[in-house]
Amino acid sequence: MKRVLAFLRRRRDESRARTDGGSTESRSTARRWLDNDFVRSAPFWGPPFLLMGFFVYAAIGWNFLLSLTDYTGFGGADYSSLDFENYRRLFEDPAIWEATRNTFVLLVVFTITCLLIGLGLAILLDRQVRFGRGFRTIYLLPFALSFIVTAQFWRWMYNVNDGIVNQFVGIFGIGPYNWLGNPQIVLGAVIFALVWQFSGYTMVIYLAALRSIPTDQYEASRVDGASTLRMYRRVIIPQLRPAMVSASVTLVLFALKAFDFLYAVFGGYRPRQGADILATKMVREAFGQSQWAYGSAIAIALFVLSLAVIAPYLYNQYTRGNL
Amino acid sequence: MSNKQSKTIPRRAYLKGAGAMGAIGVAGLSGCLSGGEGGSGGGGDGNTLEILHGWTGGDGKEAADALFGAFEEEYPDIDLDENPIGGGGNQTLDQTVANRLQSNDPPSSFAGWPGANLQQYEGVLGDIEEDVWNEANLKDAHAPEAVEACQFDDGFSAVPIGSHRMNDLFYNVEVVEQAGVDPSSLTDVNALIDAFDAVNTQTEATPFAMSLAPWSILQTWAVTMLGTQGFEAYTNFIEGNGDEAAVRATFETLGQMLENYINADAASVDFTEVNQRIMSGDAAFIHQGNWVAGAYINEGLEYGTEWDAVRFPGTDGMYGLHIDSFIYPGENPSPEETATFMRFAGGETAQVQFNQYKGSIPTRQEVPTDEFNAYLTDTIEDFQNATEKPPTLAHGLAVPQSTQSELEGVLNQNFADPFDVDAATQGFMDTV
Repeated sequence: MKRVLAFLRRRRDESRARTDGGSTESRSTARRWLDNDFVRSAPFWGPPFLLMGFFVYAAIGWNFLLSLTDYTGFGGADYSSLDFENYRRLFEDPAIWEATRNTFVLLVVFTITCLLIGLGLAILLDRQVRFGRGFRTIYLLPFALSFIVTAQFWRWMYNVNDGIVNQFVGIFGIGPYNWLGNPQIVLGAVIFALVWQFSGYTMVIYLAALRSIPTDQYEASRVDGASTLRMYRRVIIPQLRPAMVSASVTLVLFALKAFDFLYAVFGGYRPRQGADILATKMVREAFGQSQWAYGSAIAIALFVLSLAVIAPYLYNQYTRGNL
Repeated sequence: MSNKQSKTIPRRAYLKGAGAMGAIGVAGLSGCLSGGEGGSGGGGDGNTLEILHGWTGGDGKEAADALFGAFEEEYPDIDLDENPIGGGGNQTLDQTVANRLQSNDPPSSFAGWPGANLQQYEGVLGDIEEDVWNEANLKDAHAPEAVEACQFDDGFSAVPIGSHRMNDLFYNVEVVEQAGVDPSSLTDVNALIDAFDAVNTQTEATPFAMSLAPWSILQTWAVTMLGTQGFEAYTNFIEGNGDEAAVRATFETLGQMLENYINADAASVDFTEVNQRIMSGDAAFIHQGNWVAGAYINEGLEYGTEWDAVRFPGTDGMYGLHIDSFIYPGENPSPEETATFMRFAGGETAQVQFNQYKGSIPTRQEVPTDEFNAYLTDTIEDFQNATEKPPTLAHGLAVPQSTQSELEGVLNQNFADPFDVDAATQGFMDTV
């Protein structure tokens, strides 16, 4: 690498070291090409791009190719006849629609709730409450635990007979509910558990953003007679937008990875009716039934869904010139 | 990128360049993939006998230890690498096996169900009829149903190691006595439902302990069909000629049992948890494969006085057939050693060693029963005298794995509380 750089530099210096005022028009095309900033910087960004291209985008591309075959069972895929049969099947499979709906609900409700709760907690902690640091650690702790561990916790807590959640709602004379068994509420129960785990993370992101706002602004709005509520609504929260955007992207990605959590809660990749998401359906088709091509098609659908969610963010960054 | 640089190169140029690089990466990888597919897997000296199985804990581990211990004792020269893979029932094992077979790196043998289950391995299994079945004379030694289940593609691709019974109804003797029920008098499913009512009124216990895991509902559905509609209706169904009225009636009966008599948390517990309640006296009856008996015996409970079993009402004289086997992949890394092991697995020593701990029975006929406990001895006797041996629907024997999985999907969707008889019937009729 060093040699390549030295060589490039030498070539550049050679072409530039014309102090006699002569023009550089005589430079060969090759030399001009080598002199190009783009080429000169290639050794730096090229390898990561090659690796990414290789391991991420090529894998996605290959997956798409697989989804066009009718690859099932063992042996290799036959790439000679490609069609969109699996996608047609996708549209006709009611289970896919249900899984897509659940995935979407999970994505949206989980992300928004986490953002709201995280914001609330961050504002409370930013107001110098007593034992603030302790609370911060407590709120953040669930985030440090793996899905497998928290899923086991929630399995116990949601138990119909002796789970703490039913004991708690029992105090108010309601329940007991079959949190993980009733198709009507199981998705809500899963989202609640995920929110519990991730709102601490959003809290930390918000808290960092809050801490970076100069105190002058709090004081200035006080002097101008703003109430606390008004101050946050008009002055502080609008400044948290970048934090919100980056936190929501991370949350969306975690929501798509809820597979681990569902796998651990339901002891396999067949969640209860009402809690099936595209990720579990995909694994079930591919690895449970060896329907590799169909599984790939579901994976592409999931990929498109996540792109659709991320796209506004990417577009936003693009218009701001960050991309 | 800062603005200064973008004067010389617009950032779009970087994006284009990056795109080009990405394309090169894609092309490079696809080249690798197509080139790599034919690559040989494994390697090694080809003599290690590698066996994948899912018996990682409890009685399964004990049984596996006994089996492989006996094998090593008899064949000390063979380098054995037994590889237990646990987790998620047999999900992780099946996945590992699938990946290994997929990548052309098969183990010497792996544990799995024979029968229709073998169909998913189309094209990757080898034939051991000559080297194992004929040489060790296993065809005459094993029960005809087991022999048939191991046949595949005009040959043999598996060797049975043991069988669990699928049509036993287990109960806690004390609870049942307290309810004033005599299980041996339950001749049909209606009588069983009356018994559930008696348990409900006379005791605090749950009448019917149940886990609403799809495979668990499927096995209870199968035994309910056998008990209410008979062996023929069941056979017709698994062969794809099911009578809709029989299927519907089965769902109606099962729905009646599941709706009113099971534990409230059935949807979120697994069978080991509900089985605990039989042992602790919090539940009266449970229908499971007879692997649950192992738990009672390990717990030190007395057969006949603390727990007991009767045939699921209506299935008297039948033996609900489940078979575990070792499956033989083609392109075997150690053909000779594997054949030696398979012959051993089908033999008397292995069958006795393995099954006495596993809580299952040998599929080999005429094995001495003195090593087996009283319950298994009874089961062996029933196995030999059974008039009909309906293959299990929930464990690979009756239908291919994909069909079984679809049936489980139908149950999970329509018959795992709430119980929708119409949708479930329709789903079952469409699937098989």
